[in-house]
Amino acid sequence: MALVIEKKQIKNWLGELKKKFTVIDVKESILPPKQYFFPPKEEIFNFNCKSRKLDSPLYQEKLLLFGLDLSDLEAMTQLDEIMKKPNADFFYWQRREDSVLVGLSDVSVGVAPGGDIVLEKINAKQYQVLVLTDKGRKLADNKFFEQISKPQIKKYSAEENPHKEKFKKMLLDPEVLAEAVAWSKNHKIWDELNKKCLGCGICTYVCPLCHCFSIKDRVGLDESECTRCRQWDACTLPRFAKIAGGHNFHPSIKERYYNWFYHKFVRAYKEYGKAQCVACGRCVEYCPAGIKIGQVLGEITKDYEKSIQAK
Amino acid sequence: MKNLYKPNKVKIVKTEKLSNNVKLFRLKKEKGEFLKNEDGLVFVPGQFVLISLFGYGEAPFGIASSPYEASYVDLIIRRAGVLTEALHQLKNNDELFLRGPYGNGFPLDFIEGKDMVMVTGGCGIPPIASLIEYIIINRDKFNRAYLVYGARTPTDLLMKNKLEEWEKNIKIVLTVDKPDKEWKGCVGMVSGCIDAIKIDAINAVAIMCGPGPMMDALEKILRPLGISDRRIFVNMERKMQCGIGKCQHCVTGDKYVCMDGPVFNFDEIDKSWD
Repeated sequence: MALVIEKKQIKNWLGELKKKFTVIDVKESILPPKQYFFPPKEEIFNFNCKSRKLDSPLYQEKLLLFGLDLSDLEAMTQLDEIMKKPNADFFYWQRREDSVLVGLSDVSVGVAPGGDIVLEKINAKQYQVLVLTDKGRKLADNKFFEQISKPQIKKYSAEENPHKEKFKKMLLDPEVLAEAVAWSKNHKIWDELNKKCLGCGICTYVCPLCHCFSIKDRVGLDESECTRCRQWDACTLPRFAKIAGGHNFHPSIKERYYNWFYHKFVRAYKEYGKAQCVACGRCVEYCPAGIKIGQVLGEITKDYEKSIQAK
Repeated sequence: MKNLYKPNKVKIVKTEKLSNNVKLFRLKKEKGEFLKNEDGLVFVPGQFVLISLFGYGEAPFGIASSPYEASYVDLIIRRAGVLTEALHQLKNNDELFLRGPYGNGFPLDFIEGKDMVMVTGGCGIPPIASLIEYIIINRDKFNRAYLVYGARTPTDLLMKNKLEEWEKNIKIVLTVDKPDKEWKGCVGMVSGCIDAIKIDAINAVAIMCGPGPMMDALEKILRPLGISDRRIFVNMERKMQCGIGKCQHCVTGDKYVCMDGPVFNFDEIDKSWD
């Protein structure tokens, strides 16, 4: 038995979902799904300068994201964890709590890495419906999904470039990556990247897991109201670790770029036992300087392993 | 779910000019007192609060008052940026916002029963001040206690009234770079004051708070005194923005200064790449 949906019915199912949810199709979106729960810019407090009253905007929309691929599903699972521990992020959960994630995979899934429902391609005309959570179960009873006894299941594997495949394999051993990146502090690659990286921050904006932010106040021209906003920041930007008085704890791109890697592969491993990377490939695709983080990791890991063998 | 970013309104009940560009602000809650923990402390000396003024932003400050004092907290703020400049314009009865306390604070259990050397410079005095208040109230739990405090000129030394009061209970060594005619203390680097410190090095703890050059103090005072790195604690300064380990601005190596710190064992910092 399998729960399936005809490919041509997906559109109709989404149409029905639109009665209950704001449905957003995120297939092939440049900015990752984090943008819907942790927007590039959001108002977190409104302060009325006359009445001296402080309010926090209430968010009530019910979102359903459709079309997340396996790497974005994995990223959302990790981001939920990051936003839950050790302290829950109020503004993230205000948007995320009632939202639903529907994955769509044209390759065979194996174990689904996240989401509430995943549609997995099983043949040219049908998708199998994988129901993963209570939220998903509530949506599974509808006229578009049907239980069939003998589904025709074909295996589909990804047609991906060897670079990405190698990168994904590396992520399977986050401990080695953590050790290699920690070891690599004085590796020449960081000097090379210091020259190559433009420090623009694009890699962090398109990353489905990068989550650093800054909090800024904005005041209207008549000074009657002040809005406290939270917006995406990037640890690779020049002022990220600068404090009042002018001291900058990470003055050069080299330190900032290394810090970015250190967070993703060393600190994240210590905190969550995983690398904060899902090999989605966005940072490689959109880096204006052509930096490929999979290659950087590959080079570091190779040299690290050599150094161990030499001992 | 609790909104940990939401600050609480507090009122300024006292301001005092401590030097050319430094002011003390005494803050009271709108209603009632600040909450105490099971040890009777409002905060652990060394912890920080996030202070905000809508329109100017939010920034971290160490608390300078006694941790046993629940009716108010004192902050000592140097004019250094946009927010602090705006704070300096405020007067009694003006409102601002506070959240916290955050961070770990000094290891109060670890330092108990030991000789104490507290080293600070300029505007690094607030967290040390709250620790001194703690030591004085628990004086029988500590042995010898020294405060080594340096500043550019005698007028840059802060909390002068307090220094006189503390002197009854702890030894204070003051030093300035540029003395005036009335100056009777040491002159020059803190290292010049080393002879004044008499401690049992193997049972002593050092506490530091200050900018980068304070590390000099470590090299020139604490090492010659024979205090091991494991018994040196540093209160670090970073750009703590969220205070709860999310925003990433304060990270240094493996640590979040806002949660794992701001007090670190020197041994721990020394091993970090950052």
